Amino acid sequence: MTMNERKTIDLEQGWEFMQKGITKLKNILEGLPEPQFSSEDYMMLYTTIYNMYTQKPPHDYSQQLYDKYRESFEEYITSSVLPSLREKHDEFMLRELVKRWTNHKVMVRWLSRFFHYLNRYFIARRSLPPLNEVGLTCFRELVYQEVNAKVRDAVISLIDQEREAAYYSRKAANWIVDDSCPDYMLKAEECLKREKDRVSNYLHSSSEPKLLEKVQHELLSVWANRLLDKEHSGCHALLRDDKVEDLSRMFRLFSKIPRGLDPVSSTFKQHVTAEGTALVKLAEDAASTKKAEKRDVVGLQEQVFVRKVIELHDKYLAYMNDCFQNHTLFHKVLKEAFEAFCNKGVAGSSSAELLATFCDNILKKGGSEKLSDEAIEETLEKVVKLLAYISDKDLFAEFYRKKLARRLLFDKSANDDHERSILTKLKQQCGGQFTSKMEGMVTDLTLARENQTNFEEYLSNNRNANPGIDLTVTVLTTGFWPSYKSFDLNLPAEMIKCVEVFRDFYQTKTKHRKLTWMYSLGTCNLIGKFEPKTMELIVTTYQASALLLFNSSDRLSYSEIMIQLNLTDDDVVRLLHSLSCAKYKILNKEPNTKTISSTDQFEFNSKFTDKMRRIKIPLPPVDEKKKVIEDVDKDRRYAIDASIVRIMKSRKVLGHQQLVMECVEQLGRMFKPDFKVIKKRIEDLITRDYLERDKDNPNMFRYLA
Amino acid sequence: MKKEDIVKLISAEGMEFVIDKEAAMVSQTIRNMLTSPGGFAEAEHGEVTFPEISAVILEKICQYFYWSLQYSRGKETEFHIEPELTLELMMAANYLHT
Repeated sequence: MTMNERKTIDLEQGWEFMQKGITKLKNILEGLPEPQFSSEDYMMLYTTIYNMYTQKPPHDYSQQLYDKYRESFEEYITSSVLPSLREKHDEFMLRELVKRWTNHKVMVRWLSRFFHYLNRYFIARRSLPPLNEVGLTCFRELVYQEVNAKVRDAVISLIDQEREAAYYSRKAANWIVDDSCPDYMLKAEECLKREKDRVSNYLHSSSEPKLLEKVQHELLSVWANRLLDKEHSGCHALLRDDKVEDLSRMFRLFSKIPRGLDPVSSTFKQHVTAEGTALVKLAEDAASTKKAEKRDVVGLQEQVFVRKVIELHDKYLAYMNDCFQNHTLFHKVLKEAFEAFCNKGVAGSSSAELLATFCDNILKKGGSEKLSDEAIEETLEKVVKLLAYISDKDLFAEFYRKKLARRLLFDKSANDDHERSILTKLKQQCGGQFTSKMEGMVTDLTLARENQTNFEEYLSNNRNANPGIDLTVTVLTTGFWPSYKSFDLNLPAEMIKCVEVFRDFYQTKTKHRKLTWMYSLGTCNLIGKFEPKTMELIVTTYQASALLLFNSSDRLSYSEIMIQLNLTDDDVVRLLHSLSCAKYKILNKEPNTKTISSTDQFEFNSKFTDKMRRIKIPLPPVDEKKKVIEDVDKDRRYAIDASIVRIMKSRKVLGHQQLVMECVEQLGRMFKPDFKVIKKRIEDLITRDYLERDKDNPNMFRYLA
Repeated sequence: MKKEDIVKLISAEGMEFVIDKEAAMVSQTIRNMLTSPGGFAEAEHGEVTFPEISAVILEKICQYFYWSLQYSRGKETEFHIEPELTLELMMAANYLHT
């Protein structure tokens, strides 16, 4: 070594060079991209130290170098290591700490190597702690003192978690085999509670969620399917046996694990659907044993069915509250289940009709349901809730309207308040449009009563406008009421006078309205002078007209009656049947068979009598079902047309699929439109020049203004 | 000879001395360098440059390495040093911690 040639290295210069090396080391430790140290670098660094040390004073910088060595560590620790430790917690902090410690050891080793020369002589001479000890001391003083407590906590919680998880997975494996589902759940709940308490007492609160998660995972997630499927005590069985408490516990436990509620809710859905479908089948079986002729009339079995569905609904609504904490997933599932079986008809009657008939029974006088006012209100509410599940709401509306009309016109409504109350409920559920006509009907009656009072006043003021018979007229607003067929019945003379008188009266009230007389809906009280005794007969206008014919002739044939009355065969058959083949034989028929044929002859039965003074001769109503369905279909077609036009008007151009989808969505509140029907309506609108097909793309439509 | 077992010592003039690693490790300094963690790049493995040691001295040092190994194995012979090399040899020994 040629000493003379050596240049004296200044402290700053030398240290600058060292600093570069140290920075390079730090970068490598931090994981930054840096080329590794070459042996040349190493030698240079080592040599620099050597030189700085062995220079003649005042340039022997050994003390400064020693201090600088320590300072490098301190600086690095304070600027990089501590901040990164401070910002992390628990497990992450521990990991960081381990990483930093490893790095530190590396750093100590490298720097010691560079500064090795110092180690050999300087330290021994001055009895200073050797380099690596210096390095480690730095770490201890700066880092350890600070994070000591945190580290301890973190380590304890980690240990505990590991321990718990292992412990629980063993326990769970045992229990799942031995215990029934409810017992297992009880134990699981207890364990979770215990852990929660323990955490709050001993451990850091941030470990609580992780710890609980681990326990839950071991106890529940791992075994979830096995637990729920347990044959005799699993979810299905609990539902079957109505074990409310166990189900609540199941909900509580499974709601905490991710996706835990999915299997529970799907089992629930299956169960409800199965129960509902069983009810439907029960009603179907009962109905099929009925006699053929009664089949069209919605009978007792169907009423029982509706009642049972209501009960089922109540039961599971209670479950929503008691077991499932009104969780949206379960509400959704319940809705789907009910929708599935509520839309199945029973014995040819759709569910819409069944519900409407059920309401009718509650609301009419002498209905099969004899309930207190409160009970009626409650039942009506429940029925309205069930309506939400039915897709053909408009069908229900139509049936309901028809039956409401019947109740109102024939004074069969038991209680006006109840009528109004159910309309309010329906309005809340389905919107004003649904109930506007029905409300109109109820209002009409009130107005009609007023009108009648005015009419009677008019009569008493105008002596010559006397119809000769007591006449009550109910004026209805056409739009509100269902459409009725009305034929030009040939009225008996007495009645014709009544009609004229009323017409005159009505003209005095309003000039701009047209009156159309619906004789098919009228009733008449006749005094029948029979030989045994005089009796009062309550009959429909049609029946009255027929009977009055016998005032002028004793004996009439079928065809004569038909011509005189100017009615259809159907009507004539029905009315003659009610007068001659039913309970009360006002007319004698030849031949005395049970059915009417066009060759029959009829005679007034003067010998007729009954123990009552006053009897009602019912005229069975025509089966309205077919007509109702027809009307509803017609309305639906209009609704679909209107909806399509509305959509196209705002969109201008739209594809077939999308048009259909939007249509279904718009109309969904009232009914579920059939795709084929929509397609037909679109075609129809095209021929009517509302829409056209796009020339290039037959699946696109364009609005024609 | 396998690559892992040898090192190359390069003197100030650029003369290369190839010796066993075991021999080179007699020098504390060289040993530290070769066993540092975080390793050297593969290409530079086993090459150390001494820009301040002349070839003559370096040669003598290599000889010393081998003698040292032999001595520790029991072969007690003498190691002869030419007087004119002594000073520089001592300084190199100091530098290399040998």
